[in-house]
Amino acid sequence: MACTRYLNSIQEAVDGTIGSIRRAELELHVDTCDDCRGLLEDLQRIRDASAALPVLDAPDGAWLQIAGRLRQEGRVAPAPAVVTGRRSYGTWLAAAAAVILMVASAWFVLPRFASAPAPQTASAPAPGNAADTRTVESVQNDVAVAQQQFEKAIAELEKVAKSNQQALDPETSATIDKNLGIIDQAIADNRVAVAQEPSSVAARETLFQALRSKVTLLQNTIALINEMRKGNNAAAAQLVNKSS
Amino acid sequence: MPVTGQRGASMATSKLTGQGSVPGETRAAELRLVERCRNGELGAFEELYRQHSGRLFSLAVRMLGNQADAEDQLQEIFLSAHRKLESFRGEAALGTWLYRLAMNQLLDYVRSRAARTGQLTDGLDDATVLADASGHRLADRAIERIDLERALTELPDGCRAAFLLHDVEGLEHKEVSDVLGIAEGTSKSQVHKARLRLRGLLRR
Repeated sequence: MACTRYLNSIQEAVDGTIGSIRRAELELHVDTCDDCRGLLEDLQRIRDASAALPVLDAPDGAWLQIAGRLRQEGRVAPAPAVVTGRRSYGTWLAAAAAVILMVASAWFVLPRFASAPAPQTASAPAPGNAADTRTVESVQNDVAVAQQQFEKAIAELEKVAKSNQQALDPETSATIDKNLGIIDQAIADNRVAVAQEPSSVAARETLFQALRSKVTLLQNTIALINEMRKGNNAAAAQLVNKSS
Repeated sequence: MPVTGQRGASMATSKLTGQGSVPGETRAAELRLVERCRNGELGAFEELYRQHSGRLFSLAVRMLGNQADAEDQLQEIFLSAHRKLESFRGEAALGTWLYRLAMNQLLDYVRSRAARTGQLTDGLDDATVLADASGHRLADRAIERIDLERALTELPDGCRAAFLLHDVEGLEHKEVSDVLGIAEGTSKSQVHKARLRLRGLLRR
């Protein structure tokens, strides 16, 4: 840049901290200096675009995991005994948190697929589909372990959700059942794909993504039941939107 | 050409720290909430989480460049916050205190990740800064969010941290300096360098 004399003034102008005298000087300068005018306008556009970046929503399950860990570490008081039918809010939260820990351990198995050493080569990779390079047998064993963890988690969540689903209105309940059906079909299809191509990393990831979706939907269902029991309609409405 | 001397209205008030929104009442409400958290009330901590998780998650995503790492670190930030609430005295706004804690956590994570992968990010040298300040302008079309988010991931860590806090989160330079433990002048310099680098990256 040929003209560097006004770099500091440009910085202050973009920050909004420039004084009136320096601002007047800069205004005179940029009227005659294309480089500085271009730089000032570009930096103002970058500042404005950055300020307009949206706030992202924290993931649905993050709070449950935090609450679960706080309880596990004994750092919070027991949940208030809001008895709602056969299970209390605290019981549901504890069940959900325990399930999350099981799921977390299932996910923990997964990274090993990509980084494990390759003593023997598995079957040839399908075109366009990354392949695991370990033995088919060892891959299948790890997949089976991870699936078991997911299934155990899902079974626990289903038990809690099903036994309390009467708290939901029929329409919401039907929407959740419909979405569970879609996810179940995806899980079944992906299981077939993994069985046919046990060395395909992509097939496994898709299967585990489907399993994870089911866990998330069930967690949201339980959270929804909790909110409806507490009469928190606004929070319940938010969860319905996420689950439908 | 008229030079704007004021930042946009959305930037006039720190988005998270609530400066300017009846600080006394806000501070008193924060202290009451913190006291309930200290007493082990999970509902109070959930309230604190709901108030601040979106901004801290956004910060984590933009600092770390991916949602999975950000989600893990968000949990660590709030667990750490719960442990350290005893030390919160209300001298700074709760939001500023959380930003400081979050940034320490995120920068530690970034450094350990970089050490593991051998991808340490350098600061910006003067030649790069001058090159970004010169040359042709950005295209006339609006800056796309996706391009901006991608360019952010290419900034050196220190610049990115200061830029995110100042230009994205809307903290003042004084607050940025408090959060990052740097001089106010360093915050100004880092943010300016980051804007220039973004200009260079967005011109590609």
